[in-house]
Amino acid sequence: MSKTYWNAPVASSEPQGPILEIKGLSAGYGPMRVIHDLDLVVRPGERLGVVGLNGHGKSTLFLAIAGLTGWQRGSIKLNGREVGGSRSQGPGRYTHLIVRQGLAVMPQGDEIFHGLTVEEHLDSGAFTPRAWRERAPRKERILAIFPPLRKLMKVPVGRLSGGERRMVSIGRGLMVDAALFLVDEPSLGLAPKIGKGVMEALMAIELGSSAMIIAEQNVALLEGRVDRILGMHVGTLKGEASTSLASQTKRDL
Amino acid sequence: MDLGFVIVSAVTLACIYGTLAIGISITWSSLGLINMAYGLTFATAGYGAWLVGDQLQAIDAISDTTWIVGPIVILAGILTGAACGVVICAVTFIPIHDKPNFTVRGLIASLAVSLIGTQVLLQVFGPRAKSLPPLFGDWELPIGNVVITADKGGAMISSIVLLALALRWMKSSRRGLEIRAMMMNPHAASLVGIGVRRTGFYVMALTGALAGLASVLLSQTYYISPFSGLTPLIKGLSVALLGGLGSVNGAIVAAVILGTNEALTSALLGGQYALITQFLLIIIVLLFRPRGIAGILDKAREA
Repeated sequence: MSKTYWNAPVASSEPQGPILEIKGLSAGYGPMRVIHDLDLVVRPGERLGVVGLNGHGKSTLFLAIAGLTGWQRGSIKLNGREVGGSRSQGPGRYTHLIVRQGLAVMPQGDEIFHGLTVEEHLDSGAFTPRAWRERAPRKERILAIFPPLRKLMKVPVGRLSGGERRMVSIGRGLMVDAALFLVDEPSLGLAPKIGKGVMEALMAIELGSSAMIIAEQNVALLEGRVDRILGMHVGTLKGEASTSLASQTKRDL
Repeated sequence: MDLGFVIVSAVTLACIYGTLAIGISITWSSLGLINMAYGLTFATAGYGAWLVGDQLQAIDAISDTTWIVGPIVILAGILTGAACGVVICAVTFIPIHDKPNFTVRGLIASLAVSLIGTQVLLQVFGPRAKSLPPLFGDWELPIGNVVITADKGGAMISSIVLLALALRWMKSSRRGLEIRAMMMNPHAASLVGIGVRRTGFYVMALTGALAGLASVLLSQTYYISPFSGLTPLIKGLSVALLGGLGSVNGAIVAAVILGTNEALTSALLGGQYALITQFLLIIIVLLFRPRGIAGILDKAREA
């Protein structure tokens, strides 16, 4: 795997292929199949919303892209490189390699290291040699996005509130130059005002030629602010609407 | 009873057991492996140090200069331990770490490696016990009416210094951050680009090196034999259990408690009762704190 890849999407200005190209993806855990023959294309610079109910496969889609489901099959191309393929066990075995291709996952809930401080947490996100060398300015950049974290740098993450944890989780994802950001339910479990603030911060991130997929249950938070909204229903993507039309388009949900 | 002697023995034992227990604890919490081959690492490192020490003894020019021989032999023990840890990782961790029920499989695999390895040591080196040259010279440091002998003082200082270095490395470096991240949440660790297998090798090399250090230090008092790893394994495991598996601080506290207990028992009742009082103490503590001393403070990997 090329070591220069994580910088490439930001720098190049020439027209390039899709950031993410999923074909015929099925994934699940044990005997359960959660995602059924899913196709999805995400282009550079795109901010994509995925909406759907609990248990319809939004998180599983993200886990499948990161290679963390129980099993999966089908093609997933990240920056034109195949990271999917068939796999019957060994969740997480290749995740670190996929992540190093330029994937930043900001998971929902508690995918977080309780005992590490906020600062160590941000450091842990800087996993490329270049990001590790530049970690000080990068941390400053994230503190500019999330000012409340400045006072909490030495506090173990286990003692933070839900909103602060979400900020740490997103900040961690921003420590490297990713080509694709996967944000899983950024407003989940947060007070509406804080959830909105987190969403504002996500919208303020300059994508350049990278892309972002946001899974969310609250369509109102996404409408008018992302480029496309897809509905997810029992493991397949249904309907597609540009965001201005999202509220009028009849979706097959 | 000579109180000073008891204190010195207690601290020495605490240093050595603490080193072992921290190794076991780190392996468990970051890899999810209870490393039953830790005793084998211990014995192998002893033999590695002995081989090097034997070669050095043959060179007349330096065979009497402890300040040259000592560090080289210690280093040889540490390196052999690290190498042995890497081999154990390649055999017991890499092939099965993502298969179902790894905890039990890993336990059995490392136990098997331990049994095979012990027999190999027996085959190669024979059943006769070996002893290392004195590593810390021949001095005595009287503090009040307490006399610290060279082997005990050297063991204390070198284990504390090297442990502090190892823990500092874990606090400050990227690799150490990776190991600590994996100790807390292996699933999330892969999401920040931490490869489980590669980190596994780092962890096993580090803990193997700790076992090697403990082995060299303990062999100042005891002999090296193919089966000499068994008692340290039991002691290390019980210290790690008492401290709360996965907690470094807990392991240090538990090592002090069990070291004191062992020294006191030897002085008051006789050495043959040491294991009995030790396990009684562990049972009593675990009755009140089932996860060990620090098991609740540091949220370790769920068993």
